[in-house]
Amino acid sequence: MPPRSIWNGTIAFGLVAVPVKVYSATESHTIHFREVHAKDGSKIEHRRINPKTGKAVDYKDIVKGYELSKGKWVELTDDEIAAAAGGQSRRIDVDHFVPADEIAPEFYERTYYLGAQDKGRDAYALLHAALDRSGRAGVGHWVFHNRERTVVLRPVDDVLLLHTMRFAADLVDPSDLELGRVQRKPSDREIKMASSLVDGLHTKFSPSDYSDTYRDAVMEVIKRKASGKNIEPPADEEPEAADDLLAALEASLANA
Amino acid sequence: MARSLWSGSLSFGLVNVPVALFSGVKDTDLHFRQLSAKNHVPVEIHRFCAEEDEEVPYDEIANGFETDDDDLVILTDAELATAAPRKTRTIDIEAFVDLDDVDPTYYDHPYVLMPAGEAEGTLRAYRLLLEVMERTERAALGRFVLRTKEYLALIRARDDRLVLTTMLWHDEVRPAKDVPTPGKKDKPAKKEIDGAVALIDALSCPWDPSRYEDRYQKRLRKIVRDKSKGKTIEVPEEEKQPSPVPDLMAALEETLAEIKSG
Repeated sequence: MPPRSIWNGTIAFGLVAVPVKVYSATESHTIHFREVHAKDGSKIEHRRINPKTGKAVDYKDIVKGYELSKGKWVELTDDEIAAAAGGQSRRIDVDHFVPADEIAPEFYERTYYLGAQDKGRDAYALLHAALDRSGRAGVGHWVFHNRERTVVLRPVDDVLLLHTMRFAADLVDPSDLELGRVQRKPSDREIKMASSLVDGLHTKFSPSDYSDTYRDAVMEVIKRKASGKNIEPPADEEPEAADDLLAALEASLANA
Repeated sequence: MARSLWSGSLSFGLVNVPVALFSGVKDTDLHFRQLSAKNHVPVEIHRFCAEEDEEVPYDEIANGFETDDDDLVILTDAELATAAPRKTRTIDIEAFVDLDDVDPTYYDHPYVLMPAGEAEGTLRAYRLLLEVMERTERAALGRFVLRTKEYLALIRARDDRLVLTTMLWHDEVRPAKDVPTPGKKDKPAKKEIDGAVALIDALSCPWDPSRYEDRYQKRLRKIVRDKSKGKTIEVPEEEKQPSPVPDLMAALEETLAEIKSG
């Protein structure tokens, strides 16, 4: 089944316009449950309750509000909130280019595929070929779902990828988390041994080498429950921190 | 200090480091609440049994799964938790990889991994892993369960801390084969690629994330401010879309000329 595009628009690369369709490149395979009443499995409904009256409030009697100060609300309509998108722009201006390998993993949020539209396929092919040859990624802004995001365009195989990016201001600076000092630093010998452990486990990343075993385990529990079997919680193991780092490293290397 | 989302053990061979996981993102967004239109009181969400029309306390709620035969299987949280006995508490390092080999499409959510507690043994083991990863410039791959999902996680050294990025599983990345791409006949001429590469070179700069700000949130804040002062909020009109140009080479040359003059 051909995928369905979620957005149509134009990439503006200088005066070159590249008409594109956007497709989601990812999908979740998490097993989803719905909330049920434990005793008989009946459906659970979420109802909006006014805490002052204890009564349910109909959806049509709900408005969106922002709390300016305690108890003081400003009400906004959906249209007013949508106005923050700054015009429902149907274009992504790619106005500068960066070396993709300089971008840290933290910044990548979600990934989409860019498909070519029937018109302007030559422009799509040109942008793809030029990004591929230059080894650079294009940076632009994309208004989607009432949000504006910084996006990075990258060629992979025959297709252009579009990554939405997190803003630097939204990332935690790891050094803001306080790290206790050690009395004795790891010795050269410990570092050397740990490095050989790292080397021993070094491999080329291949995503298909890893699969979600938990998903299978959840399906297994569902099947056992469905056939009326008892579900016993297994004993929990709790590993302790190794007191003797050197001994643990030696034993790990001997095992490797 | 922020609250940890998970704590457990990072296990590297026979070395176990008790660790705590912290979110790697801050929520700087403006949040709206649902209010009762009548008196501007924020509503609360309560759970009701649809059959009995009665409110149900949280501990009487279970997880329902509908099978392909439309049977409902009910699992309590405790029963569901049995699917992940040990791994919920341990991140086992399975391999070390080069970051350059990882397609960014797989990156999901960032976290910071800190030692749990102040014990010398814990801090030394954490410090050892940190130094080794810094030196070898490699990232560790492991898996763990957070809430009710198992993640593949990439752990590496950054700013003198260990950071963790959860990853998508390979089957959660859709194949690109059905995405429409240009065919052979759309292949650009060498001259055109040269022109486009020259344009990219002219517009190239280092990656500097600090230059991007969330303009949407900024505008949203202004809208909230304006509205609170009783101003009318104008909804901007849709911008015009540029249309494909007939002559790519001419468009490239014109753009380059504009950059040079400008």
